[in-house]
Amino acid sequence: MAEPRWAFARTTAFRVTLLHLLLTIAGTLLVGGGAWWATVGFGARQAAQEIERGMGVLLQSGALSGPRGIALSIEARMAADRTGAEFYLLAGPDGQRIAGNLSGVPRDPGWREGTIRLPQGAEAPVLMLAAPLPGGGALVVGRDLSSVRALEQRLVSVAGWVGAAMLLLGLGGGLLIGRSVARRAAAMDAALAAVQGGDLDRRLAVGRGGDEFDRLAARINATLDRLQSLMTALRGVTDDIAHDLRTPLTRLRTRLDAAAVAPTGEAIAAAQQEADALLDIFAALLRIAQVESGTQRAGFTRVDLSAIATSVAEVFAPAAEDRGQIFATDIAPGITMTGDPALLTQMLANLAENAVRHGRNGGHILLAVGAAGLTITDDGPGIPADQHERAFRRFGRLDAARSTPGSGLGLALVRAVAELHGMTITLEDAAPGLRVRIALPGVR
Amino acid sequence: MRILVVEDDAETAAYIVRGLEEAGHVVDRAADGQDGLFHATGGGHDVMVVDRMLPKLDGLSMVRAVRAAGIATPAIFLTARAGVGDRVEGLEAGGDDYLAKPFAFAELLARINALARRPPLQQELTVLRVGDLEMDLIRRIVTRAGKRIDLQPREFRLLEYLMRREGQVVTRTMLLEGVWDFHFDPKTSVVETHISRLRAKVDRGFDRDLIHTIRGAGYVVRADG
Repeated sequence: MAEPRWAFARTTAFRVTLLHLLLTIAGTLLVGGGAWWATVGFGARQAAQEIERGMGVLLQSGALSGPRGIALSIEARMAADRTGAEFYLLAGPDGQRIAGNLSGVPRDPGWREGTIRLPQGAEAPVLMLAAPLPGGGALVVGRDLSSVRALEQRLVSVAGWVGAAMLLLGLGGGLLIGRSVARRAAAMDAALAAVQGGDLDRRLAVGRGGDEFDRLAARINATLDRLQSLMTALRGVTDDIAHDLRTPLTRLRTRLDAAAVAPTGEAIAAAQQEADALLDIFAALLRIAQVESGTQRAGFTRVDLSAIATSVAEVFAPAAEDRGQIFATDIAPGITMTGDPALLTQMLANLAENAVRHGRNGGHILLAVGAAGLTITDDGPGIPADQHERAFRRFGRLDAARSTPGSGLGLALVRAVAELHGMTITLEDAAPGLRVRIALPGVR
Repeated sequence: MRILVVEDDAETAAYIVRGLEEAGHVVDRAADGQDGLFHATGGGHDVMVVDRMLPKLDGLSMVRAVRAAGIATPAIFLTARAGVGDRVEGLEAGGDDYLAKPFAFAELLARINALARRPPLQQELTVLRVGDLEMDLIRRIVTRAGKRIDLQPREFRLLEYLMRREGQVVTRTMLLEGVWDFHFDPKTSVVETHISRLRAKVDRGFDRDLIHTIRGAGYVVRADG
C-alpha cells in the first residue's frame, strides 16, 4: 500500500509531539518571563528606586534650605558620580536651568523615558522623574539605562535563537518519530491486509525492544495463530462433513430412487432410516458445536459424578450382558465436581456405549470412578497409539470401525464435554483393549 | 381434543395438523406468535403446540403472555435447538414439555396425549393397578396375580412410569428422559433391552401380556389385548 507523503502528519506520534512542543514553548516562555523580570525588570526597578531616593533627598534639601540647597546637593552628587550615569536638572520658575547636567525642562511632572545626547556625542537612554518645586520651578532626576537596555537586547536575541532551535528540533523530532510510527503501523497494516486477503501464514514482525508495538504485534500474532488453527480445524471439519455425509446422502438418494420405482413399505422405511441417521449426525454436530462454544458453563452446578456413573452403568449393563459382556463398576461414592449434569451423563453414556460396542463379545468392561477422575476399560481390539488423536476428531472413525454403525462423533463430543469441564482425556492401551482416562480438573 | 398449533413453517404446520386431525382432534392453527396469543387467550384448547421461533412474537414470549393471562393450557414447545439450557428456558417460560425438531409424529402425539391426560393434582396414588398387576408405591412391592415380582430399582421406576400412563403410548425418548434422565438418544438399544428384561419378569409365565410394543411409536401398558 502506497503511503501518502504527509501521512506521518496524521499519526498519533506526530500529533503528540506537536502538543508536547507547544507545551514546552509555553513553559519556556514562562521561564523566559521570569528571567526577564529578574534581570531587565530588576535593573529598571533599581534605577527607578535610585531616582526616587535621590528625588526625596533633593526635595528634603529644598525644604530645608530652598533652591540653593538643592543646587548645592546636585553639584555634590554630580561630583561624586564617577560613572556619569546620574542626571539632574534644577529649573527656576522662569524655566532657566539653575543647576544640573540636563537641558530642556520637561513640560509635565512624573516619569518618562528619553534619549539624551551625552557630552561625548553618544546617545543614552535615560529614565527621568520630574517634580514641581513648591516655589515654582522644577526638579528632574534621571538615570542612565544603557546597561539595562543592552541586557534586554541580548535576552531578546538569545530567546529568538533558542526559540527557533526548539521549534526546529521539535518539528524535526516529531517528523522522525511520526514517520517511524507510521512505518511500523504501515508494516502491521500490510501484514494484516495480507492475512485478510487469505495469506493465513503471514505474521507481524516482532522487534526485540519489547515496546508497546512489539507487545501488540506479539498479541496479534497469537490471535492469528488461533485464527489459523480454527480455520484449519474448520476446514478439516468441512472436508470430513463433505466426505462423511456424501455417503449416507448418496445412500438415501439411492433408496428414494428405489422407493420411487417400487414404493413398498420396506423401501420407504429404509429411506427413512437413512434420513434419521443423517439427522442424528447433524444433531450430534450441533451439540458438539454448542458444547465447544462454552456457553453451557453458565449453568454449572455441583454434580455427583459417582451417582451419574452408577446410573449410566445401570443403563448399559443389560445391553452389555446381551453381548455376553460383563459390565463391572468400581465407583467410589461421593465424588463430586462442578459441571453440567446432562452433559456429563451424555459423556459417560457415550463412553459406556463405545465400550459395549467396540469391546469384545463376551469380554469385560470396567467403569471406575475415584478421586483422580474416571476410567473406562474394555478388552476389545483397542486403538493403536498413533491413531489416538484421530479418534477424537469429528468423523474420526478408524478404518477398522467403519463397518460398525456409529457416526464417529461420540468421542469428539466426549472430548468437547471433558474440555468444557476442564478435564483432561487420554486414551491408553489396556493390553488388550482400550482405556479412556478422564482426569478431574487440577489432577495430572 | 381441541389443539392449538402455532407454527410458521407451512409445511410443518400442515404435517402436524393433518396428523392430529387424522387422530380425531380439532385443530386451530396460527402462523405467528401474535395470532397464537390471540387464539390461546380465546381459550378452550386442551393442549397447545408452540414453535419457539415465530415471527412477530417468539414462542417463549407467547407462552409467557398466555400464562400471565392466567391460562393454564398445557404447552409443548417445538424447537430446532434442544440443548439443556433451551429446555430449561422453555420450562421456565411456562412450557410443559419440549420436543426437538425434527420429530416423528408419533412422538408428538404421544406427548400431547400424555400432557392432556395428566391428572390435575389428584391425591397421591399409593397403589397402581393394571389388570392383575399391582404396584405398591409405599412398600415398593410389585405383584401379579398375587405372585411377588422382584424388580431392580430402575426396573421398578420404568414399570411405574408405564403404569402411571396406562393405556397411553410412551415413546423411547419419553422413557429415556423420564426414567433415566437421558436427554439424548443413545445408539445402543438400551430402552429395548430394559423393556425386554422387564417383560421377562412381568409378562413371562402369564397368559396375557400387559406390556405391548406399538411399532414405530413406543410402548404401552394396558390390560386388554
